[in-house]
Amino acid sequence: MRLLLPGLTALLLVSTAQAQDLTAEVAHSWTSGGEAAAVKVIVDAFTARGGKWVDWSVAGFESANAAYISRLLAGDPPTAKTAVAGPEVTELIAQGLMNDVDAAFHAAVPAGVVPQVVLNAITVDGKVYMAPTGMHAGNWMFYSKPVFEKAGIAEAPKTWDEFFAAMDKIKAAGLTPIAWGGQSWQEGIVFHGVVLSTIGDAAFTKLYTDKDLSVIDTPEFTKAVETFGKLRDYVDPGAPGRNWNDATAMVIKDEAGVQLLSDFIKGEFSTAGEVAGTDYGCALVPGSDSLITLADAFSFPKTGNADEDAAQALLAEVVLDPKVQAEFSVIKGSVPIRTDIDTSGFDVCAQEAIGLVKADKIVLDAAMTLSPAINGGFKDAVGAYFADPSMSVESFIEQYKAAFANG
Amino acid sequence: MRDPFPQSANGPRPDKVTPARLGLYAFLVIAALFFLLPAYVMLVTSFKSMEEIRSAQIFSLPHLFDWSAWIKAWSSACAGVNCTGVSAGFWNSVKITIPATVLSVLLGAVTGYALSFWRPPGGKILFAAITIGGFIPLQIFLFPMVRATAMLGLYNSLAGIVLVHVVFGLPLTTLLFRNYYASIPVELFKAARVDGAGFWRIFVSLMLPLSLPMLIVAGLMQMTGIWNDFLLGLVFAGRDNLPMTVQLNNIVTTTTGQREYNVHMAATVLTALVPLVAYFVSGRWFVRGITAGSVKG
Amino acid sequence: MVDQPAARIPASSPARTRATGRLRLPVAALAALTPAWLIILLVYLGTTIWTVQLSLTNSRMLPSSEFVGLAQYERLFGTARWTISIQNLLTFGVVYVVGALVVGFLLAVAVDRHVRFESMWRTVFLYPYALSFIVTGLMWQWLMNPEIGIQATMRAAGWTWFTFDWTTKSSMAIYAVALAGIWQSAGLVMVLMLAGLRGIDADLWRATRIEGIPLWRTYISIVLPQLGPSIATAFMLLTMGAVRTFDLVVALTNGGPGQSTEVPAKFIMDSLFARQDLGLATAGATVMLATVMAVTIPILYARDIWARRRAGTI
Repeated sequence: MRLLLPGLTALLLVSTAQAQDLTAEVAHSWTSGGEAAAVKVIVDAFTARGGKWVDWSVAGFESANAAYISRLLAGDPPTAKTAVAGPEVTELIAQGLMNDVDAAFHAAVPAGVVPQVVLNAITVDGKVYMAPTGMHAGNWMFYSKPVFEKAGIAEAPKTWDEFFAAMDKIKAAGLTPIAWGGQSWQEGIVFHGVVLSTIGDAAFTKLYTDKDLSVIDTPEFTKAVETFGKLRDYVDPGAPGRNWNDATAMVIKDEAGVQLLSDFIKGEFSTAGEVAGTDYGCALVPGSDSLITLADAFSFPKTGNADEDAAQALLAEVVLDPKVQAEFSVIKGSVPIRTDIDTSGFDVCAQEAIGLVKADKIVLDAAMTLSPAINGGFKDAVGAYFADPSMSVESFIEQYKAAFANG
Repeated sequence: MRDPFPQSANGPRPDKVTPARLGLYAFLVIAALFFLLPAYVMLVTSFKSMEEIRSAQIFSLPHLFDWSAWIKAWSSACAGVNCTGVSAGFWNSVKITIPATVLSVLLGAVTGYALSFWRPPGGKILFAAITIGGFIPLQIFLFPMVRATAMLGLYNSLAGIVLVHVVFGLPLTTLLFRNYYASIPVELFKAARVDGAGFWRIFVSLMLPLSLPMLIVAGLMQMTGIWNDFLLGLVFAGRDNLPMTVQLNNIVTTTTGQREYNVHMAATVLTALVPLVAYFVSGRWFVRGITAGSVKG
Repeated sequence: MVDQPAARIPASSPARTRATGRLRLPVAALAALTPAWLIILLVYLGTTIWTVQLSLTNSRMLPSSEFVGLAQYERLFGTARWTISIQNLLTFGVVYVVGALVVGFLLAVAVDRHVRFESMWRTVFLYPYALSFIVTGLMWQWLMNPEIGIQATMRAAGWTWFTFDWTTKSSMAIYAVALAGIWQSAGLVMVLMLAGLRGIDADLWRATRIEGIPLWRTYISIVLPQLGPSIATAFMLLTMGAVRTFDLVVALTNGGPGQSTEVPAKFIMDSLFARQDLGLATAGATVMLATVMAVTIPILYARDIWARRRAGTI
């Protein structure tokens, strides 16, 4: 009976499609190569089930939001919009501007296959409002296998001591140890990776989900700040302002040893013809055994149009379909939010991540739990600290803590 | 090449090659090198393969001149699921730019002329307000303007986006013309008044011809600004009228996605072709000595 | 420096109307100014009121009406980035405006000396203005990157002492932004000055030639004062551009290294859209607007007094 259900729903939906106009105008910012190909998976599945996809893509977070909020204010919202599953959507839910997709969600997803922390993040007042496409994990370390070989590093470092020893070896071999993208948003991602590895899962959640600022005053947090500051010694002079993909190119060309960043950079390796596990390796940031995850999700504004409500439900079902989840994430380089899917198409890095999700070894990225204003304050503080070696740990911590006041 | 421009008033073109002449050309060449350096890097990058770009030899010529990035940028580069390149919004950009440029330049010219020569009551306050308006980052206007155009029923329409451009162009064009008219001898105006010409008559038959260089400058500036605008077009024009810069933005802007630098470069140059051509041909109207001629005539 | 309205008799003054033998209000002039008045009152003033009002609320992503007094301003001035942004804007503004004026003037004079292929030179100096900075910013980022840009090339050519790494040095990055800004705007100043130069009377040139005044002195003491209105226009436009500078910084340094190139307009934009902090953004905009008014109004007023005094002496 369970096996029959998905087919049945599909049949039902096809029949309703004839009766209804299931046109969805979808706002998203996934415009570049691999991202657009991933969106195509959803578009095709949506169309196959009787929907009509109207693309409203705007690259760049700021422009996309400006245009989206404008449309909300003008009373002309799109049918769906992608966003980080977090405060930027929950604020709109609180204002009563969003539709829930609770029924569609529970019809598509059996209980227990979505990690509880993610489920909490997309639920408001007991109802699911978002349909997550997948998760990105920020605390990865990608390394060049030839560089490690050349420098005499046997395997990926497991602790920060090992890490710095390995970086010294790469330096001694005349190469750049860390391919660093010196923009504050990238530095912010790395910093949180260092924090998790130093203070542990429980404290990380206590700080970034429960806003318990006492964590910042612990010696562990200070240690994390110091470790992060130490990374400056392994960065080349051209790092400030560098785009992440230019940093990735340094690893691809085997000029630099490691890049610390989110798993979205894997696409850059694959377009250059590099294979995970063969040409480059991946491991979590030294000292960590959990993923810092950031779920992307579709959210659904109230349009006051019954046809559009039906299109929203259909879109949610499509996005949550196990096959779509797997295909989308393989292309996008993300991790599906469902744990009951076929993982054969994924690369070794993603396999490891999926294993961690299944074992519930995940914590939520601050972008999912804290407002964009607080996260912006973090980036300002981290960027200033990394650029200025003379800035004391204390004054950094003070500035970092002040970011929480942004509400 | 025949020089299309009339003789300059600051003397005839010297026939002899003097050291000063050489110095002048040396200055121009050095300045041109500074100005062209980024364009050079841009063009060679657009002809390289991504593999070659990753090698980060930014000044080297491409091993193989490869046009594919240009073709892709124009007609097939994907942005989201629409793989149309930047050509998609070309006519929309034209439809927005022409009326918005003409209207805002004319409004600026009329306002500048009225403020400069007629001194109407409240004129100084108006000019001060317009000047201050020029300092406000226009993004702050976005949400109230959305509400306003939605109320007027102009949101998501060609008329709406043209209106928005005229509104935001007002400080710039008014400033240009008001200051330009300050340099026109008032005797001309007085003479026309004595002849009995009225407000519009003087404007159309005396001031507009006199301000040809400024009409060109203001036109070029407004055209460039409107042609290159992306945010206002995105917000106010509606999906059927999106300018080509929206597609350009979708191609070149990304945070976490791949960056095809060669396509980005080509798309940027292609989008800028219309203003570039306008700059080149505008010289024909950049003539000298009208004021002097009119005074004597 | 500024325009000289005093050089002529105001059209609506009694003297003027007596000369034409009629005494009436310039109705057509008032009518012609109606669109400008409407735009100023409805859009500019309306937005300003909206902005000030929102800055007193706790608005986040969407406008809210919950009054919080001056809390947003407290937060604004408690934010290190805002104060740094203001300092950076001052440095950038001075270097950029002066630099673009000087370079633009020199280019205009050079192009005006009957050079061959004038259209070509003009286009070469003006083209940066036509290109979107999203991508040209990347060009400058590459050119100024010590490892792949001009520095690396010069060093590879044997000049190992050569250093050009402004974008990566906190103390110099703001000058790198100013340099790219000058590159983008100098051509515009050039055409403005050129429009002014083309308006200079042929008799004046003839006179200076007959008098035998050296060319450089002609430009400094005779041409430059004649260009007053052009320079005033260019100065205003550049200053407005400097205050609103945003995409240049985003494309080139994104505010870094650290916060060494953050500017107020970028702060406002980040707060407005990326950080969904409307209250803070409008507070920042209000402070900017108040500052601009505090500087602009006395200048315009002084100019007016000066002009009237000049008029009185004629």
